[in-house]
Amino acid sequence: MNRERRVYDDVFQTLPSLENPTPLVRLNRMNPSPDFTLYAKLEWMNPFGSIKDRAAWALLRDLERRGELGAGRGMVEPTSGNTGISLAAMAAARGHRLRAVVPDRVPLEKKVLLKLLGAEVEAVRDDLCPSPGAAEGSLNLARTYAKAQSARYVMPNQYENELNVRAHQETTGPELWSQTEGAITHLFVSLGTCGTVTGCGRFLKSRNPAVRVVAVQPSEGHDVPGLRNVRELGISKLYDPTLIDEILEIDFELAYIRARDLARGEGLLAGPSSGLIFEGARRIVERDRRGIGVMIFPDNVFKYVSSILRHLPELAEGVTAQEGVLS
Amino acid sequence: MSITRSATIGTEAPVLVSTGWVRDHLKAPGVRLVEVDVDTKAYEAGHLPGAVGFNWETQLQDRVRRDIVSREGFAALVGNAGITRDDTVVLYGDHNNWFAAYAFWLFKLYCHGDVRLMDGGRVKWLNEEGRPLTSETPAPRPARYVASGPDARLRARVGDVLAALETRSHDLVDVRSPDEFSGKVIAPPGMSETAQRGGHIPTAKSVPWSTAVAPDGAFKPVEELRRIYVEQAGLDPARPTIAYCQIGERSSHTWFVLRHLLGFEDVSNYDGSWTEYGSMVGLPIER
Repeated sequence: MNRERRVYDDVFQTLPSLENPTPLVRLNRMNPSPDFTLYAKLEWMNPFGSIKDRAAWALLRDLERRGELGAGRGMVEPTSGNTGISLAAMAAARGHRLRAVVPDRVPLEKKVLLKLLGAEVEAVRDDLCPSPGAAEGSLNLARTYAKAQSARYVMPNQYENELNVRAHQETTGPELWSQTEGAITHLFVSLGTCGTVTGCGRFLKSRNPAVRVVAVQPSEGHDVPGLRNVRELGISKLYDPTLIDEILEIDFELAYIRARDLARGEGLLAGPSSGLIFEGARRIVERDRRGIGVMIFPDNVFKYVSSILRHLPELAEGVTAQEGVLS
Repeated sequence: MSITRSATIGTEAPVLVSTGWVRDHLKAPGVRLVEVDVDTKAYEAGHLPGAVGFNWETQLQDRVRRDIVSREGFAALVGNAGITRDDTVVLYGDHNNWFAAYAFWLFKLYCHGDVRLMDGGRVKWLNEEGRPLTSETPAPRPARYVASGPDARLRARVGDVLAALETRSHDLVDVRSPDEFSGKVIAPPGMSETAQRGGHIPTAKSVPWSTAVAPDGAFKPVEELRRIYVEQAGLDPARPTIAYCQIGERSSHTWFVLRHLLGFEDVSNYDGSWTEYGSMVGLPIER
């Protein structure tokens, strides 16, 4: 490996670390306050395209170290896509198997990517007339595999595994601190498994308790993959409200509108969850006026074309040649 | 023995058993476990040891006639699962026992004596300690099973619903979600069974099925259920009642609550439900 020349022995050496952080990019045109420096941390620069590489790597390495994988035993994990994609790619490169149990509403692009990577994909109708106690279909089905077929499957369990938090405490958090030279005043994140918010929050507040951790959540009935509303967080054992200074609820339609705005205004090809985080950050910047803030942009927009078209149908207009123009 | 609730009507055997009771009876002679899920692949992923799986789409209904499985078809299905008339059949499934309750209703319709639901269904079992699961499929020796019935009192047909509307002889309870009741949506998202219109049957009271379920997935205590259905919704245990939903499985769940947990005297399940009523020409609806 030669980091200076960016030559690596395998793809895993490109995973982010304090020496090789994902980029912070300053917003220049869409920042509402000149006295507030607002950065986006581009987590799609992870080798497998999202922030989930960090947790997935920690989970996978732990299973390998403990001898839980191999001899016909692979992984099963409930995922809205990104963790599955990270795990599937890593599993492929290291000779393991992955069964990804995904809610049916996950965008087609992610399901196809999972299959491209060789994962077994099982889609579950998760939101069918939900009821108390039913938990979530994908989580329960993954648990069923892990319990009923334990010789074939082990479940990393990103929702409960403390290593998910530790991955961010040991990589994302220190990167943020170092890249802002300890000057960060605001962190803007979304909530999903809560590994990011809890890990980064824990690290940053240990360095400076005054760092303000702002979480954004989509309004109810949302279809922003990977994100959760606090009322849906029962599933995550990693949620620690004491680390969060405020939670903003934002109309989920804005996730898609702001993703488009970021592309057109800043040239950032950010995904819908980043769009939602940007909207939250924008509101706080307008209110607080001063500071140095970082938005964690979990992934880019490429995997969400089908979702984007549902929300911004005008983007489909005029993209195919009209019949009969040439004769 | 830990039966969660006595839930006994007259001389009837208990109809609701706890996960603990089931664990204690996994190998008990004469106790037969049957899993019925919304997600027809869930059984293959893992199920209770010894349980057979019924597929609601292909085995519990006649897809050609668009009807429930016939008496003969039911007898063949149950007999092939090695179940006899004298067995205690314990049903469980996903989605808080939606289709397990539907199968329970079918067992009662075809006059099986001792049939029970496992409270909380497969989710409760899955998330408790010391509850084994397996992917091994049992190979039961087929038994001779003679079904009787159907017990027409348990099933409402569209003619019964229309007659009830005409004479105001029955209470109607719509157990779908509030958005389906109001007509905002015609069916739950992702459900392929739909109708031509959104709305509800005139005079129906809206009590979503899930109001009967506690946070752990089990049924709420009887006193609380009585408060919900009788005191708040105004249903009368002495009056004939018809429950309906979209295709009859969620309403089986409420039918079970009303008939077997609250002891309503005359409750029927309108399994044609909104897919039938909402698509018929000229029938009155409300929104």
